[in-house]
Amino acid sequence: MKQSVLNFSTKTVVAIGIGAALYGLLGNISIPLIAQTALRPAIAILTIFGAMFGPVVGLLSGFIGHIITDLTWGGGQIWWTWVVGSAVTGLGMGLVSMSRSFNVNEGSSSTSHIVTLAVAGSLALAVGFGVSSILDVYLYGEAPDKMWAQYGFATVSNVIVHLVLGVPAVLGLLKLNRRNSNLKVMK
Amino acid sequence: MSKSGTLYIEGDSLFHRMDGAAKLFMFAVWTVFVFLFQDIRIFVPLFLFGIGLLIAAKLPYKRIRFFLWLMIVFNLMNCLLTLLITPAYGSKVWGTTTVILNLGYNVLTLESVFYVLTLTLKYMSMMPITLLFIFTTHPTRFASSLNRIGVPYKIAFAFSIAFRYVPDLQTEFRNISNAMQARGMGFGKGEGSYRERFKHFVSIAIPLVQSSLHRIETVSNAMDLRGFGRHRRRTWFSATAWQRADYCIAVICVIVMVVAIAVRMNGFGTFWYPFTSV
Repeated sequence: MKQSVLNFSTKTVVAIGIGAALYGLLGNISIPLIAQTALRPAIAILTIFGAMFGPVVGLLSGFIGHIITDLTWGGGQIWWTWVVGSAVTGLGMGLVSMSRSFNVNEGSSSTSHIVTLAVAGSLALAVGFGVSSILDVYLYGEAPDKMWAQYGFATVSNVIVHLVLGVPAVLGLLKLNRRNSNLKVMK
Repeated sequence: MSKSGTLYIEGDSLFHRMDGAAKLFMFAVWTVFVFLFQDIRIFVPLFLFGIGLLIAAKLPYKRIRFFLWLMIVFNLMNCLLTLLITPAYGSKVWGTTTVILNLGYNVLTLESVFYVLTLTLKYMSMMPITLLFIFTTHPTRFASSLNRIGVPYKIAFAFSIAFRYVPDLQTEFRNISNAMQARGMGFGKGEGSYRERFKHFVSIAIPLVQSSLHRIETVSNAMDLRGFGRHRRRTWFSATAWQRADYCIAVICVIVMVVAIAVRMNGFGTFWYPFTSV
């Protein structure tokens, strides 16, 4: 059974909560590249939760999860601009699950779905972090050149995480679920 | 984080007694206020005022120390990075150039140093209110106050669940990591190359995600059994009624906001530089 996107079932609520907790917790593990810009393995959580539960869960998990990360590691403040970036990323990661024939829980997918997930997720990272950077320049008064340097680093490194960690993880879950669903549902 | 998984510190100051919604409102107004201006003359008093509030809340210094250090390190890194990449940006902001150091690829200007100082104080002035908010607000009360300011209760509840499960997942993470280490996997420095360590972290993440997916099933079933989401509205056990202090602070916040916007509309509060005539 597939839920409609805006129908908040209990499962959606719990998925948002647990997804956010995971994203927030794993957000603490990062390999710093340059100041405030890090390779974040946690991005893969958004890939997985977006693909499994859809754009709404992706968006809100990204939003709440980023707040949780910043509460401990934000240097005393929540970076609202990057919270928005994470939310946009989560939204993009979830777009693929809008397709009726893609369902991680039943292990049903096609190559085009995986390509969509990879491309939409990467684009979402680029757009989301772009929004964050632009907001940083206008709201926090950051120097644009420095911001673009950070934006470039952050986007490229996290797209790599998305493609190297996130997408294979979704593939793994699909395979795992396909194994025990040879039965067809009569409708 | 403490054992209950929150940063909340029990206490009985004005901020502890304040309703979560009023505090959230104050936090929001403070944030917008800082976003509006770029003037160091505003950030210094704001930061000092915030520190005053922190002291008034009687939070133990031991718990705050970590955050202070984090903030200092963070700001230092940020300043260095800004000065390294754009050492002459300050001159673009104010239109004057006072060279203090020739870096070869560019010149470091006094304006840039002052610009970085302004930026640092801007960030620092956000710190006290953030700490105040996270240390004096209990997560479930936070959820109920989110609901009060109009956030749908299912989203507010998701916030609550997220905070609730951070420590559980942390324990889970530690268990898996211990199990993996018992099998000879290295995670620390000097226990393998970067590539290997990265791979080992992935081997924790997969079981962690699997167990989280199971947990989602269990928790959502338990909530369904208790009738979660049956009704359009929900009441909160931890909801509090607004006291006189809450109303007063909310009114003060509104006034401050209106004044700030009016001042900003008149052109005051953009980047300010004291040495223009030099």
